[in-house]
Amino acid sequence: MNDLKKELKEMLVRDLKLQDVDPAGIGDDDPLFEEGLGLDSLDAVELVVLINKHYGIQIKDMEEGRIAFASVNALADYITRHQGQAD
Amino acid sequence: MLPRIKKRLEWLGHFFFYCMLTIGGQRTAYFFLYPVIFTYVLGSRKIHRQALPYLRRRFPDHSRSQLFFDVFKNVLSFGKVLVDRGWMGLNQRAELTGTFTDSDRLRALIREGNGVVILLAHVGNWQTSLARLDALEVGVHALMEFDEQSVSKHFFELRGKAPFRIIDVHGFMGGMIEATTALQQGDLVLMMADRLHQGRHARVPFLNDQVRLPVSAYHLAMTAGSPVVILFGAKTGRREYALKIWDILYPGQSGLSREEELTASARKFAAALERYVEQYPYQWYNFFDIWQQ
Repeated sequence: MNDLKKELKEMLVRDLKLQDVDPAGIGDDDPLFEEGLGLDSLDAVELVVLINKHYGIQIKDMEEGRIAFASVNALADYITRHQGQAD
Repeated sequence: MLPRIKKRLEWLGHFFFYCMLTIGGQRTAYFFLYPVIFTYVLGSRKIHRQALPYLRRRFPDHSRSQLFFDVFKNVLSFGKVLVDRGWMGLNQRAELTGTFTDSDRLRALIREGNGVVILLAHVGNWQTSLARLDALEVGVHALMEFDEQSVSKHFFELRGKAPFRIIDVHGFMGGMIEATTALQQGDLVLMMADRLHQGRHARVPFLNDQVRLPVSAYHLAMTAGSPVVILFGAKTGRREYALKIWDILYPGQSGLSREEELTASARKFAAALERYVEQYPYQWYNFFDIWQQ
């Protein structure tokens, strides 16, 4: 689980091109959007595509997105729970 | 007190036209539309404030009296669209006939399986035109504001069924998550692209002036790898309309930076809209000063 969180943090910084953000500095429970990492709805679009591309998981609607994108912890948990279903 | 009287008058106006549509049909309602709209345009300053920002730019050489009649023609055209909607809603057998130019191109894009972003604008009778999308064999999702939703729901509920599923732009992340998923499934996502509500935008020329247009649709398409189809419908006769693809964009395939690509796409949308209003100058129903927002 810790490896997955590390991987997710690196993916966020690299693929969303977050400037001046150190992956190690992102807290597991930091909110990803608005007051946390400052991501917006267009970053959410990229994140949905990235999660599908890297983990084969489709985030289907707003409610699932709201849960999955709450923090790195929540995203890792969501991926772990859905990875079996994606295979 | 005044708003209550105004509301009651509006209700009476709607009731009058519904009666006319029920008793005399579309042609009778059109007949009464002329004096009603003329009186409205003569007495309401508000409608001039709402229509003139566009008409002054579309007809820069027109005098004040010509612009007065431009406002009349513009509002009359909008009134006819409202009558058509009411007429089709009240009469299940009522149909508008129309053409869908380039529908084969849209079907070919759908077959590619990457989803298609369809951009619309507040022009023509877009709700009626969209009923044509019902014939496509993929899911259709529309990202909409509350007022657009209520008008569409009203129209399509009267007709029996909506040809698309509505995604609320005020939902979590502006509905973009559901829109992305829809594209990944190969579905169509409809978006209005001529009015900025919030979020990222680009400044582009439109009718010899600068406007700010939203760019989220191009970003969505670029990320999901989907093409963008600019689709506008126009009323071409009393019971006829024409639906046409005005441009197809492939954001992300030109080698430009992301910001340049978004601006270039918004510029192409504005150019397509200019070509549309060149051909149908009075079918512009975005009664809003988009140059000042």
